[in-house]
Amino acid sequence: MGVAFVAHCLLNQNSKVGDGAHCAGVYSPVVDVLRDKGWRIEQMPCPELAFTGLNRFWAVREQLDTAAYRRHCERLAEAVAGVIALRVAQGEDVVLLGVQGSPSMGVTVTSSDPLRGGRPEWPEGTAEHTSGEGIFVEEIRKALGRRGINFPRVAGETHALADHDEATQRAGIESVLDHGQGPGDGVTGAFWPAGGPGPSGSGVPPAGRVPPRAST
Amino acid sequence: MKPDARSFRIALVADRYVNPPPGGLDAVAAAVQAGWGVMQLPADDYPAEVAGPLLAEVAEQAEEFTRHGYGLVLVGDREGLAEALARTGVAVPDGITPDSYVQLLAFLNGRPAPAAARDAGRPPG
Repeated sequence: MGVAFVAHCLLNQNSKVGDGAHCAGVYSPVVDVLRDKGWRIEQMPCPELAFTGLNRFWAVREQLDTAAYRRHCERLAEAVAGVIALRVAQGEDVVLLGVQGSPSMGVTVTSSDPLRGGRPEWPEGTAEHTSGEGIFVEEIRKALGRRGINFPRVAGETHALADHDEATQRAGIESVLDHGQGPGDGVTGAFWPAGGPGPSGSGVPPAGRVPPRAST
Repeated sequence: MKPDARSFRIALVADRYVNPPPGGLDAVAAAVQAGWGVMQLPADDYPAEVAGPLLAEVAEQAEEFTRHGYGLVLVGDREGLAEALARTGVAVPDGITPDSYVQLLAFLNGRPAPAAARDAGRPPG
């Protein structure tokens, strides 16, 4: 048991980009895992909601990666890091549950397309998903680094990925929750759901592009 | 692609109902059942320097939802929330400190359809 810092939208799908809400409000497949395992929930703020608003377009990292958005994410990350620091100081195990494929909340898969911009039209299925972290997650990593705190183990909700499977998603989250105490990096920090798109379900994200299903 | 399934309804929920003690009231479960989203408020025992920035972000996000006609309610309370909301010009939403799961569920289900849901052509509830 420990504390799971969860992406805002996992408790509140109303914060999602238009056409992105998978359910009315709480995304229970993730909450159910945490409840079953007895983990405490800490909801992080949604970095995109207050900055780009409810009417935002689906976006990739390159469109959001501005100095102003970085500063916004840094401010939010400091707030989150303050809570993580509190929990770590109490000796509690901490994990971070993000949103795979998100330009902000991806933990091992984000969205990238350097050519996207201008008139918002692009071929459906453009290969935008790529290995890496979203901007907000990067800023959380930096904020924890400034405090000398190891980045926690991570897992992600995988709805946006082409091969999303709820059972695999649950198994992946359970695997990270059950891994036990220890820093994320070098342990399971580069977590990929078992059976996911990594080579032979190896738990290692593949290099380069990942089949897309949805953006933000 | 499936249609967007959001409910346009968000409950600001005190931490003790998000992370209830054994046998306590689980507002997240009620939100799932009633189709509401949840915005968690900082735990009561967080020091001001930790809770303050979190409350400021809750208020800023509540402001964006309010501007778009989403429905907000408050479940429980949190010291400093009213001040944080006031700084963004958002009134403290109607609230409840529920005695039971059934009471909370009835409260959530009894709320009027928010303007954003009506604009989107969604049926109430």
